[in-house]
Amino acid sequence: MPESEDQLVARIADELRRPVRLDPGFDARVMAQVRGHPRRRRAWFLRPRAVSVSPLGGLALAATLAALVVGATLAVLRVRPAAGPVLATANAVPFVLYAPDARSVAVVGDFNDWDTAATPLQPTGSAGAWVVTVPLHPGRYRYGFVIDGTRWLADPGAPRAPDDDFGTPNSVLTVGT
Amino acid sequence: MKTTFLIAGFALALTPALPRSGAAQDARLERLTPEARVLVTTVIDSARAVGLPTEPLVDRALEGASKRAPDALIAAAIRRLAGDLGRARAALGPGTPQPELVAAADALRAGASPEVLVRLREALGDRHLAVPLGVTADLTARGVPADTAAGIVIALARSVSDGQLLALQRNVERDIALGAAPLAAAGGLLSAGADTQAAGLEIQSAGSTPPPRSTPPRKP
Repeated sequence: MPESEDQLVARIADELRRPVRLDPGFDARVMAQVRGHPRRRRAWFLRPRAVSVSPLGGLALAATLAALVVGATLAVLRVRPAAGPVLATANAVPFVLYAPDARSVAVVGDFNDWDTAATPLQPTGSAGAWVVTVPLHPGRYRYGFVIDGTRWLADPGAPRAPDDDFGTPNSVLTVGT
Repeated sequence: MKTTFLIAGFALALTPALPRSGAAQDARLERLTPEARVLVTTVIDSARAVGLPTEPLVDRALEGASKRAPDALIAAAIRRLAGDLGRARAALGPGTPQPELVAAADALRAGASPEVLVRLREALGDRHLAVPLGVTADLTARGVPADTAAGIVIALARSVSDGQLLALQRNVERDIALGAAPLAAAGGLLSAGADTQAAGLEIQSAGSTPPPRSTPPRKP
């Protein structure tokens, strides 16, 4: 007589409910295998342990953490001073220089810490014009061009800065709100 | 005890990494020689102590470093700038924002007197003065008498925006470059200002424009 579906399920359930009897040496063999594996170094960091800190040590630790928090906060807040009363938007200001024989042209000024490598101009086609656009907040900036990394040049199309402290003339740019 | 020493040592080791106030810790000044850095830091600390903005001083020192100027020249330049900023603030008031002080210092350097700055402040009231002061400085540097430049700027600034004022100033620069006398070119601002106001023109761009081509274009 064929076994019904219910009988089959009941028989499988009985089999599954039957307690599993392991070989008495099973645990010992498993643990021997585990101990045979090399211990991972990170387990040292994960293992719970008790740490005792003296009151003075605790104060030093707290002071260290506080200094770190304060330092990180100051580092985040330490930004360049505001360039003007209205800083919501920067104006995209184009700088153009006609220098057909130049191999490289950069604009340097108060807006890029006078870094000769910060703001290179790009040549535009074959006309000899070099161009870059710099976002600037409202304010007044001194600047100049550096040609081929060595020759300083004021912007021929902009007002000159009134002083010439270092022997090479600068231009001055006022960006409005 | 061992833990205490360990933590204290850790804290001491971290101390130099924490940001501190003062220009000596401004990493940008590392571009100066040690001797120049000492001189510059002294001036910057003094300026900070009296509430003057220090960023223009740092910028001027960096300009000197980029131009490989002698240490003494860099120190003299920022001392002079600090003096100009101080005179500008004395004329405009203690709450004057940095851009206005920078423009006013330029006007003083160009030859304007503190009285001219006071006149601009009084005439233009609560308006931001950075652009009017800057245009005054530029006109004065071009050779227009400071009183005349200030009078023109005051007359214009009452009726046109900063952008319009800058556009008008560029016209003056162009006229002077083409050979016009500075005073005549600046005087033309008044009539041009009326036209600009009527037309509502405003241009926002750098003053840099390529001069007329005098040599053949470079091959690509």
